[in-house]
Amino acid sequence: MDINKVKKQWQELSTAVEDIDYAVSGYDYSVCLERDKVRDFAAMMLDEGFYLVDLMAVHVTPAIEVVYQFAHFETRCRVMARAFVDDQVEISTISDIYQGANWHERETRDFHGVVFVGHPYLEPLILAEEDVDLKPLLKEEAKLQDVDAVRRQPPEPAPEPKAKPEPKPEAKPEAVKSQEQS
Amino acid sequence: MSMDIEVLEDSRHHRYVLNMGPQHPSTHGVLRVLLELEGEYAMELLPVLGYGHRCHEKIAEFKPAKSFMPNTARMDYLGALIYNQGFAQLLEKAAGIEVPERVEYIRVMASELNRIQSHLLWYGAYLLDLGAFTPIMYAFDDREHILDILEDVTGSRLTYCYFRVGGVSKDIDDKFVTSTRAFIDRLRSRFPMYEDLVNGNVILQKRLIDVGELTPHICARYGITGPMLRGTGVAYDLRRAEPYSIYSEFDFEIPTETKGDCMASFLVRFREMEQSLRIIEQALDRLPEGPIMAAKVPKKLKIPAGDYNSSVEAPRGELSYYLVSDGSDVPYRLKVRTPSYSNLSVVPEMCQGMLLSDVVSAMGSLDLVIPEIDR
Repeated sequence: MDINKVKKQWQELSTAVEDIDYAVSGYDYSVCLERDKVRDFAAMMLDEGFYLVDLMAVHVTPAIEVVYQFAHFETRCRVMARAFVDDQVEISTISDIYQGANWHERETRDFHGVVFVGHPYLEPLILAEEDVDLKPLLKEEAKLQDVDAVRRQPPEPAPEPKAKPEPKPEAKPEAVKSQEQS
Repeated sequence: MSMDIEVLEDSRHHRYVLNMGPQHPSTHGVLRVLLELEGEYAMELLPVLGYGHRCHEKIAEFKPAKSFMPNTARMDYLGALIYNQGFAQLLEKAAGIEVPERVEYIRVMASELNRIQSHLLWYGAYLLDLGAFTPIMYAFDDREHILDILEDVTGSRLTYCYFRVGGVSKDIDDKFVTSTRAFIDRLRSRFPMYEDLVNGNVILQKRLIDVGELTPHICARYGITGPMLRGTGVAYDLRRAEPYSIYSEFDFEIPTETKGDCMASFLVRFREMEQSLRIIEQALDRLPEGPIMAAKVPKKLKIPAGDYNSSVEAPRGELSYYLVSDGSDVPYRLKVRTPSYSNLSVVPEMCQGMLLSDVVSAMGSLDLVIPEIDR
């Protein structure tokens, strides 16, 4: 697999290709797709020898985001491809290209209610038949976030100041005390 | 196993549907498969899942990420520590926590013991499926030693919750070292016996060779990983391909076969046990002293906004955690990609046109753990 050639193909099919820091995020590239390009993208990935790791949905505003994860058997190249569903909560299936997507799409239909157009058998898989309208992983209004709120925040890239908020409240009262004493 | 059967117009040869499971012993859990049979041949297969669904992904969205650790062990009850490893690693990466060296060694040793334990159970149970009753007694005899060793350090025998974010809950002692060394010698001395007793057996070969053949292309289309993929000749193991923890420091081989049938994955799994022993041995030799917990792990572990992925090699293939965070300590979305889920999804294609008894061989070679499929 020639990564530069593959990247070029991604750029033609997608709206944005982003290099990701593997050491922090655990994957290499993020690709944003228009929903009508999803099938072309999947066909291209299969030609290049990628396998389908996972397919899932994330409930955000303005629309539910479907995330496709691909990786390669020969070289380390882990890719997250994202596309938003349309107003009817629909997106094209890739289950005829990657047959492994068949169950993932049924599961996503169970949990988020995403309809995969062209899927051969979009019946409940994990949930029971009577729970077909349950959609348990949809967020309630109060918890629903905008898509920008769950993206990496560029102004504060270092994770460490965020990871240890504890020392601050301790430091402040001490400072106040010492001022009072003096 | 091929499809060259003559379909007779005779009414005695009509198709009928047989329900295999959800309580069938060879499905190893509550899996149901609808088989459309023509005589003894399975023409269509439809796995029906969800009997063991426990909403793990929903639960994850309601409590701090750190407290999800016990849930990971309950997905794959045979590879619990490796599921611990994947999740601990995910949060450590996301929050930028450095793990002490000793912790990595302890984790690797515990994970590899866990892997051998899982393979031994598969070995016994698979042969039991195929009609050989004795091997499971031998395999469980060996497996018991691992359970005893791990019970001493982790406190449990099956659904371990031993790893913590930034470390492990308890340090290992000299007893662990001596009993693990004794176990390595013991299992090594048993391998020739297993090979003599089982691997060369004519009945086993007739049941496994040429049954359920896979190719790397099929594996890519379905996302099949682990020993099944390595049986097709692709040396893809995440411990080598995306070295996590300290696996890059160890000298071990990735066993592969080329044929992709049930025998190939059988042999791959069998040889993997030896490689795991090698890793444990090297880790024991180099085990450093030091703390078993990272210095600063905040009580309330806030995960910076963004998405994170952590992939590890579980006994059955690739396990991936994908976490989307909105900056709070509770995951916004956690998706667990479990290996058996993708591996099982190939069954309708792999087993089409097979003899019913071969379906049992082929499904057994997937080494299914149903709770990790249903989650």
